[in-house]
Amino acid sequence: MSASPRALRALVLLAGFYLVALAVLGVLVGADVAAWIWAPAPVAIKVTVITALLGYPVLRGAFALGEGSGDEREALPVTEAEQPELWGTVRALAERSGTRAPDEILLVGEVNAAVSEDARLLGLLPGRRRLYIGVPLLAGLSEPQLHSVIAHELGHYGNADTRLAGITRRGRDCVLRTVGAFQERERKRIGKERSRQEKADAKRLRKGKKARGVDTGRTGLRYRVMAKPFQAYARFYLRVTSGVGRQQELAADRMAVRVAGRDATASALREIAALDAAHDFYQSRYAMLGVEAGLLPPRGEVFGGLRRLLADPERRSALAELRGELPADEESPYDSHPPVAERVRLIEALPDDGRGADPARPALALLRDTERVLARLEDVLLTPEALAMERAEWPELAHRAMYTRATVGAGPLRTALATAGVASGSASGDLTALLDSADTGRLWLVAGYLPKSSDAARATGRAAREFLRPALEAGTYRLAELALVEKAGAYWELSWSERVRLRLPGAAYSGGTQGAPDMEKAPDMEEALAAAVRAATADAPDTAPLRTLLSH
Amino acid sequence: MSGIIPLTILVVMLCFWLRSRRRAKRAEGIASEIGAGLLPAERQNTDRAAPDPEAEAVLAALSRGDWLPAAQALAAAGTDWERRSYLVGIVAARAADDDTWLRAWQAARPGDPDAAVVHADAKVSLAWQIRGGAWAKDTSAERFEGFHRVLNEAREDFARAEALAHPGDPTPYLLQIPLYMGLGAPHEALHGLWAEVTKRAPYHYEAHWYALQFWSAKWRGSKDLARDFAAQAAATAPPGSLLTMFPLVSWYEHNDDEAPAEAYGWPEMTALTDAALADVAMARPGHPRIAEVRHLLAYCLTKQGRYEAALEQFRMVDGHVEALPWRYYGDPAEFYCHVRDVALKGAAAARIAG
Repeated sequence: MSASPRALRALVLLAGFYLVALAVLGVLVGADVAAWIWAPAPVAIKVTVITALLGYPVLRGAFALGEGSGDEREALPVTEAEQPELWGTVRALAERSGTRAPDEILLVGEVNAAVSEDARLLGLLPGRRRLYIGVPLLAGLSEPQLHSVIAHELGHYGNADTRLAGITRRGRDCVLRTVGAFQERERKRIGKERSRQEKADAKRLRKGKKARGVDTGRTGLRYRVMAKPFQAYARFYLRVTSGVGRQQELAADRMAVRVAGRDATASALREIAALDAAHDFYQSRYAMLGVEAGLLPPRGEVFGGLRRLLADPERRSALAELRGELPADEESPYDSHPPVAERVRLIEALPDDGRGADPARPALALLRDTERVLARLEDVLLTPEALAMERAEWPELAHRAMYTRATVGAGPLRTALATAGVASGSASGDLTALLDSADTGRLWLVAGYLPKSSDAARATGRAAREFLRPALEAGTYRLAELALVEKAGAYWELSWSERVRLRLPGAAYSGGTQGAPDMEKAPDMEEALAAAVRAATADAPDTAPLRTLLSH
Repeated sequence: MSGIIPLTILVVMLCFWLRSRRRAKRAEGIASEIGAGLLPAERQNTDRAAPDPEAEAVLAALSRGDWLPAAQALAAAGTDWERRSYLVGIVAARAADDDTWLRAWQAARPGDPDAAVVHADAKVSLAWQIRGGAWAKDTSAERFEGFHRVLNEAREDFARAEALAHPGDPTPYLLQIPLYMGLGAPHEALHGLWAEVTKRAPYHYEAHWYALQFWSAKWRGSKDLARDFAAQAAATAPPGSLLTMFPLVSWYEHNDDEAPAEAYGWPEMTALTDAALADVAMARPGHPRIAEVRHLLAYCLTKQGRYEAALEQFRMVDGHVEALPWRYYGDPAEFYCHVRDVALKGAAAARIAG
């Protein structure tokens, strides 16, 4: 068995890590003993406190003290009573993988599935098993594809070939945890020191002295020094064992193929790459669209709305392209995963098992009471601030979110207009005042009141104008949007196939081809608006196009 | 007895000291004598490499918003492409600060090729003003955004200037080289542009100046590419075209900071300097770039210890110091005078010894 010698080596390496940990702890205890024997009591107390502080991360990392459950990611546990189909599937897959089924199933919000195990006695004894399933996977994968993903994860528990190699996995976690514990301590320490110095600076300033500035270079030094041997060992360890980690992944892939079929496994890997991009896109462009305005989509939609994006025909074809080209991520010696493209290539090179990738039920069908689960997931995953936000239906959310952005975006320019003494109060009035200023050659006088960077403030002549131009153009565009909303009843419309666009109520618009559907007119409107804004803020300003647009 | 020896040593040392002091005094006297006509730092013009009354008159008129002398000067330059690109550069630099008069010019003469090329080149100057002269890592995203935005606008302006220009005019092409530099154009793109330039003016000084910058290590090339480009240009150009300047420029740009002082005296450098001296002697007197070459020659000759020859160049350009290498220093006039004084003292010492 080829895995055994490597796994044995990993075991020795892990033992070596504990040796380092014990040696460090020994030095610390030795220092304590020496201090209590030879130094006066106050010094000895100080030494003890310092060594205790320094020793804590070592203990915590190496022996997983104070870790609680060992895994503190936020997730929604689902019981067998709530989700009998999901549990049934997982149990059946575990049986076919030849491993013990997990003790808990938890839902998370990422495009990911994972397993964890609270191992005991330095990771030599098995412990409580958890299976994490990302809800976006349920939304985007078919049932066989999900089988493949779960089988892959279960394969990490149970691959007979890699049972010994499990120590490597546990060892890696252990090493990284120790280094992580040190970094966390150091960060906390530096954070404390920073706020202390900032407070001191504020005090000095209040007293009329010059601030010293914040320097945290020396703070956290002790932790950095302590972490050094562990970091060095961790690098060494990871380099030596990453090959084993990669082999484990490939072994888990083989398990997935055996259980779920070749085509389902390969297509699941491709799908996940595309789904990852779609999920990020959905989160930033849709779910979080209204956050600035204090708005969230209706309950259940924060994670569930992804289904709408995935169902859109135009987005589907874009995703199909993503599936075709796999990310060519660079291979890093520390990465335990082989590149996805490599994994897919290996799987697709296997002989056809005749199981194909037939169109099958979406994986979400495994979930009972989907909407309620999605809503409960929000309760677990969202921050209290987010949960307190107002909920709005998608169309309303889009309009109010964009209106807030336009208001914020037009803010600096409207302040500049007010400073120049030409603001009128309403958006359309402010825009007219701006255009009048442009026509009377006072545009850059107004623009001069926009907030400036130090570079921009130093510039003179044309260069000064160029520094201000992006802010002036953006502000004017936003102000024009607000004016169109105010005067022409324009509104922002959400689309699942493209970005949110500003639209005019059909009849009021005359720029597009007569009788063309609204869909095709709208882009023209935004382009016309952008061109009109550029003309109005050009060196030789022409405000006519913008005035015409607004007179509708 | 034992006191005699130290005493003798002391007396001998005193004699030597007095002698060297006397010599130094004499050298100083001679130096001030032979440098009598040279100007102090505060009277050096730091805007130009040589006097140019026509350019001064054009700029004075532009300060009043009068663009006509600029248009006339460009028309008078005609097909003297060296003079034309030089004047366009001067006028465009002014337009980068304030272009009110340029807009008046364009309004009065729509489709004027001179105004078009000034307009385009002014955008490049403006872009560089926005970027500033700092290293990329010290330049803010805001500066870079403006730099790239204005350079991209300049591309369109140059396309217009090319369309309006005299078919044999290399100016709108060669002035695009800094634009290609700023936008990080690939080597093939510059080769294409360079073909357009050399088709019209194979030995154009300013074109080679910009191209050498492009091929330098600090922009899109390397030490070797710059050296090869400069050597090739110097080897193929007819005498008097002043392209022998560029091997010196390339050497200075890539080596001056690190090379030991005596490196200027190595045979390779001496040969390059001699070639440039011969080239300058053959150049037409009105060549707008001849002073620039003399400035760098004066520096190299001084570094080589060829003080009399250096002084000869210093005398011909004294009074205007906007040239390599002085312009790279915070106080160009001061550095110029410092090097000039080295040459003066060296020449005086040589006269005493000789």
